[in-house]
Amino acid sequence: MFRTRTPRTRTSRANTLRTRTLRTGLAASALGSALLVAACGGEAGTSSGTDGSAPLAGKTVALLGYGDSNPWGAYFNDVFADELASTGVEITDMTTMDPGTQVQKFNQAVAQQPDLIVVSILDTQAMVVPIQKAKSAGVPVLAFDGPPDPAVADDVLSVLSDNEKLGEYAAENIIEGLQAQGRDSGKIIVLTGTKSMLVTQHRMRGFNRVLANAPQYEVIDEQDANWDPQLSGTIAQQLLAKYGRDGVQAAYGMADYMALPIIQAAKQAGIPVGGEDGLIVTGSNCFRAGIESIRAGELYGTATEDPGTIAVQTADYVVRYLTGQNPPQSEIVQEERITAENVDEFAEQCSHV
Amino acid sequence: MTDADTATATATTDTGGSGTAGGRTGAATRPTRPGPLTGLLAVAVPLLVVVAVTTDRFLTVDNARAIVASAAFVGITAIGATLVMIAGSAVSLATSQTATVVAMVFLATQRLGLATAVLIAIACGVALSAAQGAAVGFGQANPIVLTIAAGFAIGGAATWFSGGTPVYPANRAFELLNATPLGLPLAVYVLLVVTVLAQWTLRRTTAGRQMYLIGENRAAAHAAGLPVGRVIVIAWAFFGACTGLTGMFLASFNTSATVNLGGTLTLDAIAAVLVGGTAIAGGRGSALHTLGGAVLISVISDVLLLRGYSTGVQTLVKGALVLAVVVIVHLRSTRGAR
Repeated sequence: MFRTRTPRTRTSRANTLRTRTLRTGLAASALGSALLVAACGGEAGTSSGTDGSAPLAGKTVALLGYGDSNPWGAYFNDVFADELASTGVEITDMTTMDPGTQVQKFNQAVAQQPDLIVVSILDTQAMVVPIQKAKSAGVPVLAFDGPPDPAVADDVLSVLSDNEKLGEYAAENIIEGLQAQGRDSGKIIVLTGTKSMLVTQHRMRGFNRVLANAPQYEVIDEQDANWDPQLSGTIAQQLLAKYGRDGVQAAYGMADYMALPIIQAAKQAGIPVGGEDGLIVTGSNCFRAGIESIRAGELYGTATEDPGTIAVQTADYVVRYLTGQNPPQSEIVQEERITAENVDEFAEQCSHV
Repeated sequence: MTDADTATATATTDTGGSGTAGGRTGAATRPTRPGPLTGLLAVAVPLLVVVAVTTDRFLTVDNARAIVASAAFVGITAIGATLVMIAGSAVSLATSQTATVVAMVFLATQRLGLATAVLIAIACGVALSAAQGAAVGFGQANPIVLTIAAGFAIGGAATWFSGGTPVYPANRAFELLNATPLGLPLAVYVLLVVTVLAQWTLRRTTAGRQMYLIGENRAAAHAAGLPVGRVIVIAWAFFGACTGLTGMFLASFNTSATVNLGGTLTLDAIAAVLVGGTAIAGGRGSALHTLGGAVLISVISDVLLLRGYSTGVQTLVKGALVLAVVVIVHLRSTRGAR
């Protein structure tokens, strides 16, 4: 994991709490921490590869990625740190899963004037003003995974997942699965991630674009399951009851961990899954459990958007940018469709979360 | 169906019969008259019935199965939370994190055999919750503040130990928990068993009766020589066992466990308990009413979904319902105190 300013702050606080009163102690701790940070400036973080051979020694990156409480984010953070370890880049870990906290930490990062802020944007609209502040302060911002708000798209560098392609792959999985069953028509339910997120909107744009070419297959219900596996299971139970055993032929869970509860809900409702006439279920952004489900013949397919691949490309972008190679303003990570046909090819890539 | 007045009268009659109810005897002999909550339910339940029966596909076996299935996970936890609330410990805000840790432990110990994994998981849930109960019962810690801190600590520990990555089982023995005997998920039967056990504990055991008395007036219970700390720990331990069961079912349903598996379980369980009419200040409530609250919330969500409303509207209605019940119960408590 990243070594950051945190240990030094904890030491300061621990020393301060030995003073006579708690209030005085906390005040002194806060003051001490502030002075420490101010005095140390850019040196407060941790250098990776501090020997003279590190090509980017002295460069600083503030990472505002997903927090380690998110499996995707945890693996991204590990790989990103590993990839940059030998370059000498100093990484300040400011990851979080809370949109409000991210805005605060982003503003703190701007005040610290790093050479680059690397951010996975949790709330695109809330981050518009902070990104504009970063631009005014001359601090470059690199967004990864999801795109920034269009209002600041030109002010941000980016390494983005191809979310429209992920949606397209999901639709292709469903169409292919239903056609393989010989169905001339089919009803589809969709459990999306948080609908207000551009990631969700882009996936649905790709999904609907491909399905428009197969009008015999129709989306009959689309519900916001908020990237929540528990909620996904509950909604799936209700939708399968709403439309009956013969009323749904396919389902799209926007992440593998949302697709698998759909499968479980169907099985508990006595609805067959996969095979010659069972429910066709597809996911997106592969997880190990999804790969296992494909092998078991239950999940028809998924797609990549694995954190390891995007972490490697993001780290590579950081190196190219900080060494003055002027990478393009925006890069798209190539995504791949995964079904039983090629699952072995992507099993290792998808097995880390 | 559910009526907090009736619950209180019933509880008091039982406890009064044992001769330990003390000051609640007066309430038991007071003529019952419809309270505000009764009035609310008298209007809301018929309205819901009308809306439900006029909703396409509501009156189907499949839909009934979906309703009870979706109520099961939250319901099991809520039953346990009922005892905590009755005993005057308000609510636990660390429920999701506890269920998540139990889910991880359950899957991680599958290699030891299903029965062993179940026992370890339940023991884990009991230990985590009973420790909090001990702090509340013996240390008189504020349960809200304590469980907020516990939630951070448990969640942080889970993230630290797992590295944020999902926990996967070594084998598929856990799928037994996804069984559907007679067409209903196993979790539904467990919910019913837990409800009966909780209701029996509250009505027929000394510890259960003492939970009402401690929740009604902790200082008086302490002065009367009741084992306040021990009874509160029992309530929390029962709650921990219920949370452990929920964690195991969540893990089995999702086939893996991540740090955020618990989702909104904390607030959903609290909502079910409150809608069931249990007083958040303690001293009143019943497991049967909580079961009704969990099913009622599930029915409302189901009707809204069948009528095409989004999950956002479902959450809004659930929040409004809880708010209404809490305000009404609070008003009734305030009037009763005058």
